[in-house]
Amino acid sequence: MKTNIYLQITDEFNAGRLRAIICSGQAAVLHRVAIMSKDGDWILQEDAECCRHILETLERHGAHYRFGAPLDVRWLSQGWSSHFEFTSGPLRIRTDFFTRPPRISMSELTALWQEEADKNPPFVNLTTLARLKQTDREKDYVVIGELARRMPVPVDQLLFSRSALDLIRLGKLYPSLVKQLISKRPLLANISSGRTVIETLLDAERRALIHLNEKRLAHFEKAAGQWRERWPDLARKISGLPLRKAHSILVKEAKKHLATTLP
Amino acid sequence: MKRIDHFLSEEDIALHDMRWEEVIAWWNLWLKQAQITNDADQNDYSHGVFRNEPRIKIKAPLRKSRR
Repeated sequence: MKTNIYLQITDEFNAGRLRAIICSGQAAVLHRVAIMSKDGDWILQEDAECCRHILETLERHGAHYRFGAPLDVRWLSQGWSSHFEFTSGPLRIRTDFFTRPPRISMSELTALWQEEADKNPPFVNLTTLARLKQTDREKDYVVIGELARRMPVPVDQLLFSRSALDLIRLGKLYPSLVKQLISKRPLLANISSGRTVIETLLDAERRALIHLNEKRLAHFEKAAGQWRERWPDLARKISGLPLRKAHSILVKEAKKHLATTLP
Repeated sequence: MKRIDHFLSEEDIALHDMRWEEVIAWWNLWLKQAQITNDADQNDYSHGVFRNEPRIKIKAPLRKSRR
């Protein structure tokens, strides 16, 4: 086979115009860093036509909704994510979508859309991927470590490296740059303190990032409490329906049970 | 010899030097093999703001007593 289901479906999402940028696990493959995720996720354009096109595409593949927000700008613009699943031959394909990726500012997001405008396939750059990987899962931090080594600019290497040895080397090469970056990454203040100290600080930094993401998810989880309770009945109601029909039902219900404005 | 911290496996490192066709083939094979964990991660989420699928409680049918 010359292609891959995630590349194929990304082509379909982007038929006619750029609507979806591959991120996380499958972007790590495209950067040739690692294969470690069987699910796909995309950053979407935050507009109604994009949502319609993605739903149409997924419906053609026989996809169904998993628990999540409706694929609708009203929820996506608040940071919610939408989740689907379908089968392709022997593969269970899961597709996850959002328009407001965590830890990425709006200006960075705008720049990303411009940067990916002519790319095929479009996938997030190394620094965006590293930010997306700052999750609450330990395994993502080893990927960040490898991504940092691929970053062409020393500033980014210093901001994202997960290796004490790499940081010591970088510190010797770019001492003035290190001073400039301390406000963005406090552990750089100790870059001359030796491997053990830097490793301890890297561990603490990782744990702080993990806790931050846990807190972020807990916020959404709390806001989705009523939706979660309602879901089993809804899942039964939409089971077997064509995706767009199921979507209409979900939107109607989500208006009552899933906040579009987060507390 | 330059000391280095290792993050990934040899297989992952090898991705860097593969031809594109080889990457696709390895990626597809990996996805196929990864299906073995589908039952175990049936309710889990890899991305987004949800951690897991709500458990659907299925009411056990009432059994009529046999006499």
